[in-house]
Amino acid sequence: MSANIRHLAATLSVLFLLVSLGVGYWQIVQGDELSSDPYNPRLYSEAAKRERGRIVDRDGVVLARTDASGDSFKRVYTGALYEPYVGYATLAFGAAGLEATYASSLIGEDPADPLGAIRRRYLGERAPPGSVRLALSAKLVDAAARSLGQRKGAVIALDPRTGEILASVSFPRYDPNPLTDASTQRAAFDALNNDQGKPLLDRAVMGLYPPGSTFKLVTGAAAVELGLDPNKKVPIDSPWKGDPSWGNYAVPSPINFHGEYDLRQAYAYSENIYFAMAAVNIVHGDRLADYAKRFMIGQSLGLDGPYAKTQLSNSGQLDRPTLVAATGFGQGELLISPLQMVLITSAVAENGVMPTPHYALDVRDGAGKVVRTIQPGPLAQPIRSDTAKLIAADMVYAVEGPNAFAYPAAISGIHVAGKTGTAENPQGSPHGWFVGFAPADNPTIAVAVVIENAQNGGLDAATVGGQVMRSWLGK
Amino acid sequence: MRLAVPTSRPLSRLTETRLLFWVAAITVTGFFTVALALGQGLDGNAFIVPTAFLVIAFVVHAALAMRGLRGDQIMLPVSLGLTGIGLIVIYRVTAGTDAASLLTLQLAWFVVAMAAFLLPLFVPRDLSLLSRYKYTWMTFGLLLLVATVVRGEEINGARIWFRLGPLSFTPWELVKIVLVVFLAAYLDEYREVIASRRGIWRVLPPPPYLVPIVAMAFAAMFILAFEKDIGATLVFFGIFLAMLYLGTGRATYVVAGVAILIPAAYVVYRLYAHVQLRVEMWQNPWQDALGSGYQILHGLFSLGNGGLLGAGLGAGDPQSIPVVWSDFVFAAFAEETGFIGALALLAMYLVLLYRGFSIAIAAPTTFLQLLAAGLTFVIGMQTLVIVAGNAKLIPLTGITLPFVAYGGSSLVTNFLSIGLLLRISAESRT
Repeated sequence: MSANIRHLAATLSVLFLLVSLGVGYWQIVQGDELSSDPYNPRLYSEAAKRERGRIVDRDGVVLARTDASGDSFKRVYTGALYEPYVGYATLAFGAAGLEATYASSLIGEDPADPLGAIRRRYLGERAPPGSVRLALSAKLVDAAARSLGQRKGAVIALDPRTGEILASVSFPRYDPNPLTDASTQRAAFDALNNDQGKPLLDRAVMGLYPPGSTFKLVTGAAAVELGLDPNKKVPIDSPWKGDPSWGNYAVPSPINFHGEYDLRQAYAYSENIYFAMAAVNIVHGDRLADYAKRFMIGQSLGLDGPYAKTQLSNSGQLDRPTLVAATGFGQGELLISPLQMVLITSAVAENGVMPTPHYALDVRDGAGKVVRTIQPGPLAQPIRSDTAKLIAADMVYAVEGPNAFAYPAAISGIHVAGKTGTAENPQGSPHGWFVGFAPADNPTIAVAVVIENAQNGGLDAATVGGQVMRSWLGK
Repeated sequence: MRLAVPTSRPLSRLTETRLLFWVAAITVTGFFTVALALGQGLDGNAFIVPTAFLVIAFVVHAALAMRGLRGDQIMLPVSLGLTGIGLIVIYRVTAGTDAASLLTLQLAWFVVAMAAFLLPLFVPRDLSLLSRYKYTWMTFGLLLLVATVVRGEEINGARIWFRLGPLSFTPWELVKIVLVVFLAAYLDEYREVIASRRGIWRVLPPPPYLVPIVAMAFAAMFILAFEKDIGATLVFFGIFLAMLYLGTGRATYVVAGVAILIPAAYVVYRLYAHVQLRVEMWQNPWQDALGSGYQILHGLFSLGNGGLLGAGLGAGDPQSIPVVWSDFVFAAFAEETGFIGALALLAMYLVLLYRGFSIAIAAPTTFLQLLAAGLTFVIGMQTLVIVAGNAKLIPLTGITLPFVAYGGSSLVTNFLSIGLLLRISAESRT
């Protein structure tokens, strides 16, 4: 009997040890991770007791601040224009967007300043809170929002050299101010979550759409690197049924074309058959999947905020010839975000180097001293420099060539590179897409635009894209 | 067996006295620290509750000393220390909120718990009445469970509550003690037969001896499952297997029991939506972080905020966890005292287990050995289940942390166990 009791006691002791390790795991190993979790109320309970740092744009325009009212503080947002990505910080529902990403920085506990955190925590110092400066230009956001108007969709613009996000607009959007007011927050939060227009969904980074013809940047670049002769005229006879085994499936031409095109013309007139043939005959499914991966489709993009991962196909592979053909001109099972498209465009603009996208430029402490600069550098190099230059030149022709589809993006006095897309989708009339960059020879802005169920497809999107680039370049 | 509580000369429990001063120091310091940190002032609850608690504790101690009770002097101070820590945590998470009255309620329950503690030490002339009326106790226990099914109230998806005026109480807390008593008595009588392999297939014991014990245990678990209380069912199953092992020394019974448990658990999982939800929320609380995953997630944030040394009493944010005072007292304590504090708390339980099992080994009869080991096991297992639930090692259940968590019936039955253990200790030869 005594032996049995000893065995039971030993078993319990071992279990106590295991449970202690489990507790230690959360307290010691995961402690930092948990303390910066967006749902952790400790990041926001401070806000009610003292000032929470500001979020400002690249020129110092305040996007989010904390106002004192008597003893307590209230978070105030400059407007709906910068939502959903600026997000909100509340005690009741946690935080979202950049308020969540930079939550610890905004209460003066930036990971780059560990001493500040320790001073605050153990000595109870009440240093003024830090601030986060974004790469965003409020002026450019304003211009993009006006240009998009009341159409569902998104615009995202970045500096292709650095990955700085210069503007991001998603419509519908929401006013976060009712969320920080105790009397209105519950109703406002429920209304937002039940809204059919999904204003909490940042379409610029989380909206997933078939990319349509804008995806031809990927197909074209892959084909050129795998042996496509860009100057060779390819005969086109619409519609194209590649093989009897395809059954009823045929690739349609946007203008029911019969004749021959080289790569440049195929971009300018967005000829689906040309790219479907290149995908099936030159690139093949496995290598197209490989190039999609190099362009970071379905991969982590390193953005300092929430975003959705994109997809090449439901299975992640291109194993059927019809799927290869359809993917080649941007349909199939592709689901791509404007963020992903603007990164692909940036790689073409910047000699094949894709930058890591980021919202923030730097974090400052209460005295205005920079404690951390956000410069993540390049994300990937999907294609060779000469391939990128070739595709870039073709994109200029797609804007400036005779009767080229992307003509609304043209800006007088400089060369603009662009590509439209009109994406068939199960939700109704096609989505309009545009990607582009300018000036074409020395790009300082790359842009991606999507307009859901647009009236004139890519034409509408190209108009918005052109206006955004024009506004940034001051033309 | 002796017929009365063995005594020695009065005022001989000096170790207990010394340890109680430590309890007093911890409790008073804890209350004052919390009161100052929360800006509550040293009047009202911060002063009255620890004073009342300590006066009662010393009166009970004095009663034992005056009676000249021999035996263990560690268990009472340690369990009182845990109770004191519990009062500090409850005060800390409820002060200034709507739930502030829980502190005085817990203090009231503590008075009842002290009565339950003294009961086995002063009343029965002979503990063998526990084993003699084993079927009566077990029938009473099962009736109590059935009554809960018929008349009980459902709170948080489990129907385990009885409401008496302002106090609600959970009968199964008492039933688990009854189950230990019954199993100890039954195994004492038949353990040799049950440990034998002369029955079914020459592997299992003869059915006439196996059936009653299995039937009783499964009846209890079936009723609990019917009440949708998964945590209690788990603890009952644990008690059953542990007692069976203690009585027979056959590990195969434990293995067989676990082999039965796994498919049974799967059936329960498929049948009850609230069990599925608990398991889902255990696997990934982030997927519904503002809904059903909220509580477990905020428990983790609380643990994470503690780090090694803790945020300091009154300086954390444990009140952000819903019903922190019953389900997450451990996380709340660990947030404010850190991993160091959490380990110290667990060490206090290990001291209780060590003393309890030592008492079991030294107990004069097989029945008392089984009883002492079983009661000790119950305290240990409940601690493991709730702490592991707080640390997301297993799904969270409604088990409360012994002595520390808010909950009257739990406090009363745990002190009843301590009382029984002290009585057994007093009856032992050493």
